[in-house]
Amino acid sequence: MPRILVINPFPLDEAGVARRAAQSGHVALDPGTELVYRPVRFSSVSFMSPHDWLLMDLGVYEAGLTAEQEGFDAVVIDTMSDSGMAALRSVLSIPVIGPGKASMLYALTLGARFSVLAQWKPALPRYRKVIRDYGFDRQCASVRSFDVEPDFVNLTEGKEDRTFPIMLEVAMRCVEEDGADVICLGSTTMHQAAEYLAERLPVPLVNPGPLSYKLAETFLAAGLSHSRKAYAAPLVRRDELVHDIVAAASGAGT
Amino acid sequence: MPKVLVIVPFPMDADNLDKRRAQMKSVRLGPDIAFDFKPVAIAPANYVSAQDALLADIGILEAGAAAQADGYDAVCIDTVSDSGMNALRSMLDIPVIGPGRHAMLAALMLGEKFSVVCMWDRWRPLYTKTLAELGLEHKCASIRSADLQPNNQELLGGREDEVFPVLVEVALRCVDEDRADVIVLGSTTMHEAHAYMAERLPVPVINPGPLSYRLADAAIRLRLSHSKTTYPTPLTPRPGPIAAMGAAARSVKSQAR
Repeated sequence: MPRILVINPFPLDEAGVARRAAQSGHVALDPGTELVYRPVRFSSVSFMSPHDWLLMDLGVYEAGLTAEQEGFDAVVIDTMSDSGMAALRSVLSIPVIGPGKASMLYALTLGARFSVLAQWKPALPRYRKVIRDYGFDRQCASVRSFDVEPDFVNLTEGKEDRTFPIMLEVAMRCVEEDGADVICLGSTTMHQAAEYLAERLPVPLVNPGPLSYKLAETFLAAGLSHSRKAYAAPLVRRDELVHDIVAAASGAGT
Repeated sequence: MPKVLVIVPFPMDADNLDKRRAQMKSVRLGPDIAFDFKPVAIAPANYVSAQDALLADIGILEAGAAAQADGYDAVCIDTVSDSGMNALRSMLDIPVIGPGRHAMLAALMLGEKFSVVCMWDRWRPLYTKTLAELGLEHKCASIRSADLQPNNQELLGGREDEVFPVLVEVALRCVDEDRADVIVLGSTTMHEAHAYMAERLPVPVINPGPLSYRLADAAIRLRLSHSKTTYPTPLTPRPGPIAAMGAAARSVKSQAR
């Protein structure tokens, strides 16, 4: 009966969480699997600068650091940026799955090179940075944006007719011009477009959120978790400090 | 109910096939999925030369070529060499899971670098081939062997006391000296040692066969299969001659040679 905590990287209201939770409709999970969605208390507003990345790391970390004590069997982070993943892995022994690096690695089980479909141009520098950091330069055919400003709350809802065909056109350029064998959706917020794109693309499309749920089940089923050698534990945990500064930040307005 | 074909890379009797099937106990699988284990007809005696690699590719292609037509939803290849995977992927639309690359890529989801621990050094080319195909040589901390000749039929049966402690010792050198974050077992035939090793090592130990079964299940549920741009469909498939090779190898005369 795996209970999995899914951390949403923005402080969403109930309707916002429900739009994120709809990702589980894309994949058949094991009958006993329970997903519990929890938005962070504090995060960045946009996601396009090192300032944003750092604040989101903190927000996700704070939302998940008690997951093991709370009895969860695994944590999934609902963002391709894997925000907070390394810090959470350093304090938790249960599997912590971020869909970013994992979906690129999974793409390489399916084909030789992948492209990442990014939302808008300001998102590009971070993808390029992480792909370089991960050492996947040779495996990445391209990162292309379809140049539509992201809406982290409403996602693509109500904009399907306008947005989906542009996404498809850009993904096709990844395949035809850049030689992508697999397309990775660049954000878990794009999940609503997954079926539309998968039906029309000549190559596999990795939908990162549903994949991350399945990977959490897979690691739990195989008795695997992250390596303590790669994610060393802190000598001194400062949970109280973390909770305090996040509580202060979340009450502070802009 | 989804059905998965597991291709066992050596011809074998029912008892030894059961030893392969025992891998399923090491992973919790979905409630409604079936796995059929099928040994190949064509195989090398072991996997230590280019001749062997070629025969392994042919044997596994032959064993799996009809899997989709036979109603299977996925194929697992029960060898970390991933022999036959590329050719099968070009012929089939259903997921074809090679435990070698899947184990290495899963290892990189759990740590920065992995080491492969295998039975003998002559298996080394099996791993360097996959690392080269993936272009991920820089993620492999080391490939170390126990320097013990394996038995692909009996597996490790009766040799536990001799083999298991050596494997732990070798894996510890990968962790301490080579800085491996994760250990990948170099053969599905080593699955009997997995629990013993996992209990004694400070890092995750990946048991490639059982992981591949679970990943076949995941691929089916995610409705994801390999890319046809990496594994292009042949313009002229030759299923007849491929099946004929299998029939020839199954004949008594051929077995005796």
